[in-house]
Amino acid sequence: MATIDLWVKDGYLSTPDGNSIYFWGFSASPDGRAQVPGPHLVVRQGEQVTVNLMNTLPLEPVSIVFPGQWPVSVDGRLARPQYDQAGNLVSFADHAPPDRGVISYTFTPERPGTFLYESGTHPHKQVPMGLYGALVVRPADYDPGDPAHKTAYGFGTDTEFDREYLLITGEIDPELNNAVGEGRPYPVPRFRPRYWTLNGRCAPDTMLPDRVPHLPHQPYGSMVMGQPGEKILIRLAGAGVDNHPVHPHGNHVRVVGADGRLLRGGTDLSGRRFTVLVGAGQTWDLVFSWTGLGFTPENPIPTVLPNRRNLGVGDAGWTMWSGSPYLGQKGDIPVGVVSFNEFGEYYFMLHAHEEHKITNWGEFPGGMMSMVAIYPSLSPAVGTLP
Amino acid sequence: MGTVSRRYGATDGFVMMPDGTTHYIFGFVDITGVPEHMIFESRGRAQLPAPLLEAYEGDDVYLTLTNLGMPGRPDLDDAHTIHWHGFPNQIPLWDGVPEVSLSVPVGRDFVYYYRPRDPGTYMYHCHFEPVEHIQMGMVGPLVVRPLIEKAPGYAGRKFAYNDPATEFDREYLIFLTEMDSRAHHLVANVQEFDWTEYRPNYWLLNGRAYPDTVKPAGAAELPAQPYSALVSVRTGERVLLRFVNLGYQQHTVQILGIPLRVVGEDARRLLGVHGEDLSRRRNTLYLAPGQTADAIFTAPEPGVYPLYSTNFHRNTNDGSSFGGMVTEVRVSPRRARPERSRARPVGRRRWSHGDNRPVGERRVPQHP
Repeated sequence: MATIDLWVKDGYLSTPDGNSIYFWGFSASPDGRAQVPGPHLVVRQGEQVTVNLMNTLPLEPVSIVFPGQWPVSVDGRLARPQYDQAGNLVSFADHAPPDRGVISYTFTPERPGTFLYESGTHPHKQVPMGLYGALVVRPADYDPGDPAHKTAYGFGTDTEFDREYLLITGEIDPELNNAVGEGRPYPVPRFRPRYWTLNGRCAPDTMLPDRVPHLPHQPYGSMVMGQPGEKILIRLAGAGVDNHPVHPHGNHVRVVGADGRLLRGGTDLSGRRFTVLVGAGQTWDLVFSWTGLGFTPENPIPTVLPNRRNLGVGDAGWTMWSGSPYLGQKGDIPVGVVSFNEFGEYYFMLHAHEEHKITNWGEFPGGMMSMVAIYPSLSPAVGTLP
Repeated sequence: MGTVSRRYGATDGFVMMPDGTTHYIFGFVDITGVPEHMIFESRGRAQLPAPLLEAYEGDDVYLTLTNLGMPGRPDLDDAHTIHWHGFPNQIPLWDGVPEVSLSVPVGRDFVYYYRPRDPGTYMYHCHFEPVEHIQMGMVGPLVVRPLIEKAPGYAGRKFAYNDPATEFDREYLIFLTEMDSRAHHLVANVQEFDWTEYRPNYWLLNGRAYPDTVKPAGAAELPAQPYSALVSVRTGERVLLRFVNLGYQQHTVQILGIPLRVVGEDARRLLGVHGEDLSRRRNTLYLAPGQTADAIFTAPEPGVYPLYSTNFHRNTNDGSSFGGMVTEVRVSPRRARPERSRARPVGRRRWSHGDNRPVGERRVPQHP
């Protein structure tokens, strides 16, 4: 049995263009900071889960709903919607009252897959304010030590993976968030996102590692890393209020699961896409693999690489290119350009293809964008969830 | 296998809307075979969408990008790239993302290479400051043809994929984009646009808004928008529509009275792992930006069948109806005609029957 404690707190998010935005988030400990997204929850199929919610917000009740989980019980009965004294709906499920109220939810995940958890109390405001996270349910036979049992959906479901990443989409209108911080109403008709996020961060912060000290409220990175030929499981979850088309460069993804359901029904229904539309509230399980075109210094590319002085390298003053066409090789980078390439790895952009969403308040690069990095060799410790 | 060699120039130009307005664009222009001392005559002659790039599965495709500069914005020294959207296992060098490889400054050339292995409908676009360069018009269609067309017994016939169930008689391109004219106006006048304010007021099929969509390919009054969106077919013909969404909005389109059989998405035949046909029958097609779909229908009895966006606000030109994403499928009666020769040499027939490109644009892939 798993017991998870979550505290609802507030804080300020950082964006790469220097903005600081009021938000509400979940925290995993009484002394910890609010974070967006909430802690990645990883549980096992068939094992009972209890989530204890402590609400420190002074004025707002908060609840958590677990779409895809049923039954969810509170005090031994089914969780149920909450209404105020006038009969107006307040929460989709039992909530923790404001100012140190507590509520406890219990459920047993029946199926493996990727799911969201998010506020069910005035979610038009509380979810964009940051009260969301993702729940990964491991199959009952999951065994990370055995490749045949290191799967998204169980042995024999063709969902084996070598590494896995969880990317949660979101969007922020800072004016609305800050209005809430100042005690003013949250005017939905004026909602116009200026930032689009992966795991609560905007590019280029998305490419930083987990838990960098200068982003205390945004602990999760979104850099997808692997080696050629590996099966990289990308769990995509749409936590915001908008739909986003996510396009990975480098290869199609094999879409193996949707909303925590294996895409198989009588026959195999998995398919390959180069752009996956993540609807608000949807989750997708994708397997990405990159094998390359076979070019090496011994089997060179069929085009001539011109003098680097005749081409643009690092127009922004930096590049992630190695300077070489070949994996694991480094070449010349012009003087004055900072290279973030470590040892000849390849980078492929992964981004929302509604291109205004890869800006920070209109400035490219930013927003819902990260990279898939293919390294010549990489520690097996990279690309694991707890 | 053959070799496809193309040379595209990156430059700027102007498109016309049916309400009489003119809008500044960035884009590509085909300068394949143009002598070196004449390429600069193509400055300012970008077309929307960019020229169709087509190849056979297994061809070696060499695409030279030449940055011709922007005569309408002489101050702007932006580089450009080509990103072929959807080509699997590409290496960064030819993937066109300047942050992780190279870009092409004004006056320079660079050769992008790929050997496509999977037939289907793709797209290509510039990836330099993509939010600006894609909206400004640096977008084009890319078609990879299946090798089954060269196989004994199938030569001279047309297929979307390596599957006899995807045979067709005519094919048309439906390329979806939008335009926020404020952004184009500000870029033309060296001003900043806040891209989070993106709110398009023109919706385009093959670079045109209705009623220009039904004008013929190569219409003289639309010099920068050579591709028609009119679908002209005969009763009983199998028609392949290649849908591409390269806008920033999700679009739903339908043909009133004609259901579609979706045989492929994102350049993949819809097949189960054991070869089961997973084609879908749909009245509407819902496409997100960066997605493509291949749909086949059999032309019904003669008539005019409107093809339009069911997001009806998009059937307007800057607020006026009808406009935007509307065109027609015109079905004419069957015609008794001699059987087409099955022995026609492969590579001679591209887009020959049912072509929404102007005659001068109908190039034949080079198969030496």
